[in-house]
Amino acid sequence: MHRDARRTLGGDPWFVTGAALALLLGLLVVAGPFFAVHDPHDMSFRPLSAPSTEHWLGTNDGGMDILSELLHGIRNTVVFGLVTGMIALVVGVLIGLVCAWFGGVTDHALMRFSDILLAVPSVMILILVAAFFRPSPLVLSLVLAGLSWPTTAKAIRAQALVVKKSVHVVAARQMGASGAYIITRHLMPELFPLYLIGFAAKARMAMFMEASLSFLGLFDPSRKSLGMMISYALKYYYLDIWWNWLIPPILCLTLLIMAVTFLAVSLEKVFDPRLKEAL
Amino acid sequence: MNVTIDQWSVTYRVNDHALLALDEVGLRLVPGSITALVGESGSGKTTLGKSLMGLLPEYAQVKGHIKLDEQEMAGASEEGWNAVRWSEVAMLFQNGPANLNPVHRVLDQVAEPLIQHGRRSKAEATAEAEKALARMKIDSSQARRFPHELSGGEIQRTLLAMTLIMDPGVLILDEPTGALDAITKAFVSRIILDTRDQGTAVLLITHDLDLARNMADNVAMLYLGQVMETLPAKDLLTNPLHPYTLALGRSYPSMETLRDLGGIRGDAFYRITHRHSEKNGGVRPHTHVIGTEPSHENGHLHPKGCLFQPRCTQSIGPCCEKAVQLQDVGSHRVRCLRGGIAMQLELMQVSKRYGDFTALGTTDMTLQAGEIFCLVGETGSGKTTLGMIAAGTLSPDQGNRMLEGRDMDRWIRQDYRSLAGKIGVVYQNPAEAVSHRLSVFDIVAEPLKIQKRFREKGEMRQRVLRALTDVHLSTDTSFLGRYPHELNMGALQRVCIARALVSGPSMVVADEPTSSLDPSVQAKVLKMILDLQIEKGLTVLFITHDLGVARKIGDRMGVMLAGRLVEVGPTVRVMGRPAHPYTGLLIAGARGETIAAVKPPGGSNSRGCPFADRCERAREICFSRFPEMGGVEETRHLVRCHFPMG
Repeated sequence: MHRDARRTLGGDPWFVTGAALALLLGLLVVAGPFFAVHDPHDMSFRPLSAPSTEHWLGTNDGGMDILSELLHGIRNTVVFGLVTGMIALVVGVLIGLVCAWFGGVTDHALMRFSDILLAVPSVMILILVAAFFRPSPLVLSLVLAGLSWPTTAKAIRAQALVVKKSVHVVAARQMGASGAYIITRHLMPELFPLYLIGFAAKARMAMFMEASLSFLGLFDPSRKSLGMMISYALKYYYLDIWWNWLIPPILCLTLLIMAVTFLAVSLEKVFDPRLKEAL
Repeated sequence: MNVTIDQWSVTYRVNDHALLALDEVGLRLVPGSITALVGESGSGKTTLGKSLMGLLPEYAQVKGHIKLDEQEMAGASEEGWNAVRWSEVAMLFQNGPANLNPVHRVLDQVAEPLIQHGRRSKAEATAEAEKALARMKIDSSQARRFPHELSGGEIQRTLLAMTLIMDPGVLILDEPTGALDAITKAFVSRIILDTRDQGTAVLLITHDLDLARNMADNVAMLYLGQVMETLPAKDLLTNPLHPYTLALGRSYPSMETLRDLGGIRGDAFYRITHRHSEKNGGVRPHTHVIGTEPSHENGHLHPKGCLFQPRCTQSIGPCCEKAVQLQDVGSHRVRCLRGGIAMQLELMQVSKRYGDFTALGTTDMTLQAGEIFCLVGETGSGKTTLGMIAAGTLSPDQGNRMLEGRDMDRWIRQDYRSLAGKIGVVYQNPAEAVSHRLSVFDIVAEPLKIQKRFREKGEMRQRVLRALTDVHLSTDTSFLGRYPHELNMGALQRVCIARALVSGPSMVVADEPTSSLDPSVQAKVLKMILDLQIEKGLTVLFITHDLGVARKIGDRMGVMLAGRLVEVGPTVRVMGRPAHPYTGLLIAGARGETIAAVKPPGGSNSRGCPFADRCERAREICFSRFPEMGGVEETRHLVRCHFPMG
């Protein structure tokens, strides 16, 4: 990491905003269950009650505490996004590096496979899988990651091919460096910005996908999520509950995605100093 | 008159100390030829001259033989010497005015030898002296002056007249032109050549390499009282075989060389043998050096090894232990365990093709240890391909490569890392040649890490710091932690040079190392490369399209055209008298002359000369046949052309 990264980051509004949001949301994710004084599945309260000191955001039609629902929902969405993003990133980087390094038949086969995956509408597949198999969130996360690695892999492969031919790699080879050395010391660090971009894009996409699927009611209904809350809240739009039931999950989802995007952009700028001028 | 000097040793002995001034010197002076004795001061040149005149001081102990024709002069009495001095053997001493008596007119002094030898009466002698002085362009009024009334040049001519007055068979000239201006020097040189042509055997003692090269037939290189090399004078600057001759040639501001001045690392010593007095415990006499170097424990010279070894950049272990004798190498005689300047790299019949495109036609190239070889040529002429084949990063399709006498391809297969440690590579654009995610320290340490040279971190750090010091960069912690984008190009290129040097290579391949630098930075970097080359004795393959740079730093150069070397030779020859029309075109272009109608290089795959369709001298044969390399006047200057330029 570059020495002056911390200083530069501190002065970057993108990073400050993103980090503040991420911190806030992170706090909610980690400490959420402590704030949520009620069990989100407890249906014993009076349905559709307005916010009060007992229920800060009131209760929903099933008599559940909205705040507790919200906190659990954020948590589920974030975890799903991060896990999916991480899996997609690891798979994408591995496949991208393998393609770039070995080339030839391996490269060709993997790239054609990734083309097929790119051509397949992943939302449809996901909806079908979710609807027919009712899998656990982890399995769904794996399926989503398995469908979304190709863009990362292609970006990594393209950049790795460039770096592989770059003079400093040629120089390292001349010094007698092994393939493992070049991959770990030259290729992988050089591709760092791509990891961030890839991870952020996938995590964002996964969070959005999770919200969508739950909005469509394709997740286990007992699993609290932001999408599901929005979907339920919409049914009662004619009641005067939109501000305490509908807005909070929408706002949370928006902030969540904003935080991830802001952080990715600012880190990218800092870790690749040559991007500084471009951005 | 023939002079044979055989196994001649002179020791100046004072008390317990003895200075070994000459060590078994063997030399022959032949009538009608000039032998130059060249060496740094303190090498024993003057002692040898004085030996031939019987003028050594009393405390000089001699061994060996000096024969004038068949007459043995070693151990001759003063009378014996007097009989031959001036009449048979005459010497022109250095420090002109000091050799004349200030209270006598110069004419009388010039006449003196004739009178002393009783050959002439005073009047006859004076008349003869006046004639001799007139020949030296000193007229009769000047001849009647006192020495202090004459200029330095006139004094030197007077002395020369005196030396030649008895028409000696052997003439010893000790720095005859040392203090003279160029015109007087030329005049004196003419007289010396005339004297030689009359059948005199001349010993020219000088440190003026141009004088030696232009006047002498043979040259003997003297170092610390030993003859290191005897060679034909024409080879002195362009084809030396002993590292000392090469280094001395580089130190001399010759009109014949273009390269910037180098030097010889370290200092020359005097060899002193001394006997520690009994009470100090030591008794054995042993050789001792003055002007000690830290590498020499207590200033004691290796008693047996090569004298030049401490300053030699190609010395190997046995150089310290084995006595070395002069041995014949071609027309030279060389005192070097390695048989003269070693061969660093030999490329034999290498070639490289990419599909249909011949990047490098069948090419031979050799690099001697410690030389800077510049490869010049147009873009796309295969310079980099040849350079990378030399560096071992690119395998030729055909041909053999030898590095330090070892087969490079086998070496690469067996132990690439040890080979990589022998070769440092510097690339054109320093910003691309380093990973921008590594700090200065990590960049320079990278070869050591890759080659796993050191177990200990501290030792590696020392090596890195030393490499950075070598390239005049800071070694403080904040600099070591800097990243490439924080440095300017000059500093970054020096970091790259430090990286190339850190593993202690014997050869550096530099591919356009200065073409991305601005002129002031380029000057610094070039100067630094020259300094490093002298200090470490690096062999440098310097690839450049800039003939101005090649001219300043190259010992030899090769000109490439369409994947072939078309001309190879000492830089001074190739630049001064290019033999291939293409070289001439390159030089004209570099001079800023506009070139009419640059046609693209025609068929690099055709059978003819690739330059033929751009060449004014081309005739039919040029289009049908590309000639082999051929020598131009000397074997070191080669050209591939049917009609080389004169």
